Amino acid sequence: MGLIFKIAWRNLWRHKNHSLVIGTILCLGALIMTVGNGVVEGMDRGLQKTIVHGFTGDLVLVSEKYESDNVFLEMMGKTVPPIDNFKAIRASLEKSSLVDQILPMGKNMAMVLNEDGGMPTFLYLLGVDFERYHRMFPDNVNVIEGRFPKPGRPWLMLPTGARKEINDMTNVWFIPEDASLDTSHLEAEAKKHPGDLSVKSNLVLMGFNEDNSSTDIRLNVAGVFKYRALNTIFHPFALMDIESYRQTLGYFMASEKKPGNVSARDSALFAEDGNLDNLFSGDSLIVGNKPASEAKVDWIPKEASQRSNIDMDDGAYNLVLVLLHSGVNAEKTKGALNKIFRDENLGIRAVDWKQALGPVGSMTTLIKSALFIFVSILFLVAVIIIVNTLSMAALERTPEIGMMRAIGARKGFIGLMFLAETAALSLAFGGLGIVLGAVVVELLSLLKLASENDMLQLFFGGDTFRPVLTTGDIGLAFLQLGFVTAAAVIYPLILARSITPLDAVYKE
Amino acid sequence: MNIIEIHGLTKDYALGETTVHALRGIDLTIAKGDLVCIMGPSGCGKTTLLNVIGGIDSATTGSVRIGGQELTTLPDREITDLRLHRLGFIFQTFNLIPVLTATENVEFPLLLQKEHSKSEIRARAEKLLEEVGLSEYRHHRPSELSGGQRQRIAIARALVTNPDIVLADEPTANLDSVTGASILEIMQTMNQRQQTTFLFSTHDKNVLKYARTVVHIKDGLIDGE
Repeated sequence: MGLIFKIAWRNLWRHKNHSLVIGTILCLGALIMTVGNGVVEGMDRGLQKTIVHGFTGDLVLVSEKYESDNVFLEMMGKTVPPIDNFKAIRASLEKSSLVDQILPMGKNMAMVLNEDGGMPTFLYLLGVDFERYHRMFPDNVNVIEGRFPKPGRPWLMLPTGARKEINDMTNVWFIPEDASLDTSHLEAEAKKHPGDLSVKSNLVLMGFNEDNSSTDIRLNVAGVFKYRALNTIFHPFALMDIESYRQTLGYFMASEKKPGNVSARDSALFAEDGNLDNLFSGDSLIVGNKPASEAKVDWIPKEASQRSNIDMDDGAYNLVLVLLHSGVNAEKTKGALNKIFRDENLGIRAVDWKQALGPVGSMTTLIKSALFIFVSILFLVAVIIIVNTLSMAALERTPEIGMMRAIGARKGFIGLMFLAETAALSLAFGGLGIVLGAVVVELLSLLKLASENDMLQLFFGGDTFRPVLTTGDIGLAFLQLGFVTAAAVIYPLILARSITPLDAVYKE
Repeated sequence: MNIIEIHGLTKDYALGETTVHALRGIDLTIAKGDLVCIMGPSGCGKTTLLNVIGGIDSATTGSVRIGGQELTTLPDREITDLRLHRLGFIFQTFNLIPVLTATENVEFPLLLQKEHSKSEIRARAEKLLEEVGLSEYRHHRPSELSGGQRQRIAIARALVTNPDIVLADEPTANLDSVTGASILEIMQTMNQRQQTTFLFSTHDKNVLKYARTVVHIKDGLIDGE
């Protein structure tokens, strides 16, 4: 082997130009591949951190009756069934040392009625206890108008994106209670004629209940906010207090310990005399096409005085978000928890955050695949160039190789010699590319590039660009480099091995 | 004792749609330790004959036996081993490995054999370099040596494995007459000293005096010995 490496090494020096061409291609390829791996890994981690610690937790528990894993972003807002046994679930989760925090929440959709008589629109609602929510996700909400909700009061926090969409549909611009219009946040067109806007600080939500009835509820807007990162994805989700949410959806309320949707209209539906005519007389079930001011608003949420000393967990939720301790394997824990839930007959199942976010959760896989295809094309081109250069080199060295064969070198020796030359080039220049790539990734990470741009935030996997390289990524880079080297050397190797002593004689 | 026995050897080449009959039926025996010159004009088949004897080219028909071993039926791997252990080659254009020094070039066949220690290989290579008068150039690479010096290294390399036969295809063709003569003198000396059989081809009648046996070839046939 010493002889082979000696000849290989000296040949590389002797053919500096072609060594440099192949080396540069390998170096650049390895550099791009390493940086790409770092960016994708950083994005993956960034997305996971942003989403897990700002929106979903590691695991999302949902009723077994809900068939899809896509809990949050199902098209057209498929109804998520209520969970009425949260206390039992909590007791089960509290037994696990892997669970760090849990957050029960309501999640469904309601209609925003247009009190000015125009078209209504829809809004995704997350019903939460804000104190718990803030404890689990301490810095995911940036209030840009108004304030955080006051404890014990009914409230609704409207994301900027949802406010804009409501405005697009209804021409109503919602501002927080006790606040004045901040024209700097208006759309360009609206800024020209702010007087034409219908400005309101409370809205009427119409929730659709499981029994096909509906409930209207009026809520003050406590604040308008942006999700700190990935607002593009999460902007449809408004936050509201859990009891008002339950009232809207007709769920068991903690304060009442009974269904919250017993309304005048429902009374008509379940009239004692069973007179079905009631169904077709009086108020319509959906009042969206007529001014809400004319419709009967069934519930005004109870104030703090009426909500004190109640256990919020007595009421219904739709989801339980579970944040695991750092380093705990979410996939394994999901399996273990699902077994416990089945054994204890709790009627729920766990899905991980990627499943819960549907297409968004698999975004990193998609981007990774896209990058893989890009790198594969890059390497295919590199392989073709290297194959061509090495083949030319093999043919140029016909007299030398043929002479070696003539004096007793076997084909295997020639093959090993060629392989050693290519491997040495690959290791030296490809290795350099990987090291340079690691340095670039480190420098990019140190720069801590931050952006409020939604698209960039998707690319960054959060509000800060932090590419990261793991040992696995570096190992993968070397593996890819080895694969490229092997792919590039096969044909020239066959060519070199096929050179006969006679070829050398006639070449001369 | 014959080291080479050739019977009814023919070699045809396809050249486009025509067939070139390079060797038309050679019968030849060469005794061990002989110094044979294969003489003939360009294109008569000298190189083809040496190539077939050396296992570099294959015969179309006929038999070639080296030390009693039939060559024409051997697979490539065994022919390669035969070249490594029993044959030495000297080419017209002093084919040396450009990235190796003079000593390393001479050592090369022994390193391929993997049968000797490093020190033994080095000692044998240096002894041969001394015998061909190139001790002081042992660290030089081929590009730093003259044509005659390179050919002397090629002789040392051909002899380093103590082969039965050394085949030299027009070894003096690219050298001036003085250098050419010195090369043939070295071959003559080695032939006498080591009893190695030498076959060299030439079209230069001036070098005939170095050979003990001269074989004349014309149009692919032996024209006389």
